[in-house]
Amino acid sequence: MDDPRAVIETYVGDVVRHLPRRQRHDVGFELRSLLNEDLDGRAADSGRPADTSMALAMLTAFGHPQEVADRYRPAGFTVIRPADAPRFARLALGGLVLQWAITLPAALTGPVRTDEWIYAATWWGRLTTWWFTWGLGSFWWPGFLITLTLISSALSRRRGETKSWTPRRTVDRDHVNRLAIVLGLAFGMAGAAFMTALPWLAVWAPGLPQPLLDALAFDPRFLQERAVWVLPLWAAGFGVHTAVLLAGRWDRRTRLVSLALGLGWLALLSWWVAAGPIFATEAADDTAKLCLLLIAVLVAVDLVATLRRTTASIRPPVVQA
Amino acid sequence: MVEGPVGQTVKLEQDLRKGVLVLAVLSQLRTQQYGYSLRQALAERGMPIEEGTLYPLLRRLESQGLLASQWQVDEGPPRRYYQLSTHGAEVYRELTGAWQSLTSVMNRLVDEEG
Repeated sequence: MDDPRAVIETYVGDVVRHLPRRQRHDVGFELRSLLNEDLDGRAADSGRPADTSMALAMLTAFGHPQEVADRYRPAGFTVIRPADAPRFARLALGGLVLQWAITLPAALTGPVRTDEWIYAATWWGRLTTWWFTWGLGSFWWPGFLITLTLISSALSRRRGETKSWTPRRTVDRDHVNRLAIVLGLAFGMAGAAFMTALPWLAVWAPGLPQPLLDALAFDPRFLQERAVWVLPLWAAGFGVHTAVLLAGRWDRRTRLVSLALGLGWLALLSWWVAAGPIFATEAADDTAKLCLLLIAVLVAVDLVATLRRTTASIRPPVVQA
Repeated sequence: MVEGPVGQTVKLEQDLRKGVLVLAVLSQLRTQQYGYSLRQALAERGMPIEEGTLYPLLRRLESQGLLASQWQVDEGPPRRYYQLSTHGAEVYRELTGAWQSLTSVMNRLVDEEG
């Protein structure tokens, strides 16, 4: 291509291809005319006739055709806002990975779906079959999210997002209900006293039927080695809640102590369940361990909630003296 | 990637110029001009603007109702001439007032001793 005008013609064609049809002829005609004049101006400035290298240099400076076409269009709209992008990516990719994590092991270990392909039972045959069914099919999820986001974005534009911000609900997560803490401490201390006295049930409640006393008899090794560690955790827990009761609210220090205690409870409960019998009879032991596992789940949930509240509060910067 | 100090200065200066681009263009379109002549007029007055930025900008300003345009044939090929519309002239007056106030404030700010 030796003709610089032909280079410009090709360039203009590439630009207008990205424009709406109604604009193409008008913009194309004007752009071609302006670029030709620019080229003539450059040739006059350089004192030599225009050639393809001069045209290419000018068009390179002008910009990539698609970018130039973008500049002719009004500003577009945002589908995913920058603040929402990380959460959107996590949701989209997390959903995809979850589907793969469920379907891939099943595809590799389950019965073969078809016997029409001789390699269907091999690992790579299973993998291929999975990819063309569940693997690719799982991409419905990101597509579904994008579609929902587009609809939401269109509705927001139609409504016009000019409403000023108003707080939905003022939340003070650190504030405590003193009555609830007092009741919690009272019930907690009563429960702790009952549990501490439980090994001596036959002494302080001799009237209870013998089968019940037998069922609630602790394993001696549990009492000697593992049970005693609950006492410091109870004491520390009561101490923290008393401090919170006096202060009227949680602060970073009490939240951190609460976190440490939560971890301690998880460790202790896991040890109790894993290290041997708690009760002497098997039925009571199984029931107790099931209850302890449920309590461990509740402790874990509370731990996560405390962790979120601890990290969600805005920390002051470290100021160097 | 962090840009070097020179690249950073160039980028910040470009951002600064971007902010005054529309006013610069409107100022020259009180009389009618076509794209190439406008670019030359701006360059001669110390405000060079890349063609790839200026020509699409004219179209956008026209679609916003700030400019009016028409094809004319004088000497050479047909050219699209642009000029401030009535609405564009009003906007230009308001922007000029805002610009003068801004430059006055900025002069005070940058001239202040730290």
